[in-house]
Amino acid sequence: MAAPDTRGRVRVPSAPGLASRRREQPAPSAASGRVSYQGATPWLIPLLVVVTLFYLWPAIQALRFSFTDASLLRDQFDYGLTSYQRVLPSPSFLFVVRITLVFVLASIFFQLSLGLGVALAVQHGVRNRLPGTAIARTLVLSSWVMPGVIIGIIWQIVLSGASYGLANSMLATIGISPVGFLSTTNMALGSVIVANIWRGTAFSMILQYAGLQSIDPVLYEAAAVDGASKWQSFWRVTLPSLRPILMVNLVLISIQTFNTFDMVLALTGGGPGRATEVLALRTFNMIFRNFSLGQGSVLAVVMLALSLSFALLYVRLLRTEERL
Amino acid sequence: MTVKRRRWRGHAATYAVFAFVAVFFGVPLLWLLSLSIRTPAEVFTASLNFLPREPTLHNYSAVLGSGRFQGYLFNSLRLTLIGATGAMLAAAPAAFAASRLDFRGRRFFLIGVLSLQMISPLVIMIPLYRYFVTVGLLDSYISTSFVYIAILVPLATWMLKGFFDGIPKELDEAALVDGCNRFQAFYRVILPVSVPGVAAAFVLVAILAWGEFIVPFILLSRPAMQPVSVGILSFQGTFAQTATQILAAGAVLAMIPAVAVFIALQRFIIAALTSGAVKG
Repeated sequence: MAAPDTRGRVRVPSAPGLASRRREQPAPSAASGRVSYQGATPWLIPLLVVVTLFYLWPAIQALRFSFTDASLLRDQFDYGLTSYQRVLPSPSFLFVVRITLVFVLASIFFQLSLGLGVALAVQHGVRNRLPGTAIARTLVLSSWVMPGVIIGIIWQIVLSGASYGLANSMLATIGISPVGFLSTTNMALGSVIVANIWRGTAFSMILQYAGLQSIDPVLYEAAAVDGASKWQSFWRVTLPSLRPILMVNLVLISIQTFNTFDMVLALTGGGPGRATEVLALRTFNMIFRNFSLGQGSVLAVVMLALSLSFALLYVRLLRTEERL
Repeated sequence: MTVKRRRWRGHAATYAVFAFVAVFFGVPLLWLLSLSIRTPAEVFTASLNFLPREPTLHNYSAVLGSGRFQGYLFNSLRLTLIGATGAMLAAAPAAFAASRLDFRGRRFFLIGVLSLQMISPLVIMIPLYRYFVTVGLLDSYISTSFVYIAILVPLATWMLKGFFDGIPKELDEAALVDGCNRFQAFYRVILPVSVPGVAAAFVLVAILAWGEFIVPFILLSRPAMQPVSVGILSFQGTFAQTATQILAAGAVLAMIPAVAVFIALQRFIIAALTSGAVKG
């Protein structure tokens, strides 16, 4: 949720792994005999119509535009590979790929580890009825359901160099001179990553917590009987048991982060220069600032290909868990 | 090491994590709230007091009094309710079919829906924009709502399918034996039983719709039609440097509906989200 991504969109798996129990059930089939394909059509029609008109068809058009030199400024265009030739080998595209990779990999690492840390703490807190547990969990979740643009605005205010910039005011009280969190090239990308972690950790926490809850307590008892320390049982029992859900989580974080741009737009606008212009924001700028429909569509097709590869990876993961 | 000592160490580690959460997740929010109740003078003297000396609600009345912002909030509400309701209406029968009927292409259908959920709406915006310009659908709530529905329907379908899978098939069978047709069984028996699931999916989808940015940004060009997720950005352009307290109040108002609904219903939504994961 966070949902809210374009990340406003939060993509939530309704059925992440860990479903061994499902295996015992037969494939769902209509109780009173098989129902034919025709029988299902009326049920699917509303969804198919909306999705075809407003999602599938435009996605195919994006693919078509990528093979043109179209611009939003004129009506005529020619077909060809010029847009691909202009975009893909260019140094600016390589730069976009590089910072996007840093953005995604850092988000994966920190969201997974923080999400697991918070999930473990919340689990411990719930089991021992520690006061403050509900507040901690609610705080993490609140940052997830906020619109992405608002998250960008909050962090822009917090990290700003102006008098209302919280981070620099705090540094000043311990005698550290102001840091250009948003205005220096290296810092700015770090700031975008921090904001993304702020937004995405809740989702990892939810998945990780569900995963922790489903670990059979007998495993921990057995480990304790064998004399394992808490630390050892974490490495030998907890982590291996969470592996499937961590994999699912990794794929979902990657997709969400690749698709993120509204938050970055509000936080840095891609700057300073192009230091934080990640792939999705670059696509947006290429079309709506440079008005280059053809080249923007090439980037959109790159995004489309990435999304579909991740979707297939996700389906594979679910399949190995026999969820689909 | 004694059990007691171990537990104490567990408590200490847990509170260390909670302290981190309070600082990292809580402080930026508190700072925003603090700025939103400050006078201009106190915004520009760098002060770390979270509670201002002269707290004021003037910023909120200024934001809401401008009329424009009220319009943003109202537009968000309208798009959110229409989008989420439409998505549920399209998703519910499809999810029922995916859960109960054994049609050809069922797997392909489910994988397709899942893949759509992962495609960024950014990818489809340019063709949609051109298309809408040609047929004169730009700046229309009706056409924009349909795009919301298309974007929200994959998640709604997957969530609802999860709930329907959890409802015993004996229930449909009983309804069929009693003379219902399949649609009646769905409408009269399965839907009433799945109200908690449908409600949780609706709320989650509505929260997503509330934060949707790119769709209204591209398809609704007139400021008077824009939802708050887009309107707040022009607020940022106007007020970020000159009147941060106003921007802060606007940001608080823009996030409160989503955050408040979520906090009120969080147990319910989280349970719904994770039931698939835990129960299989």
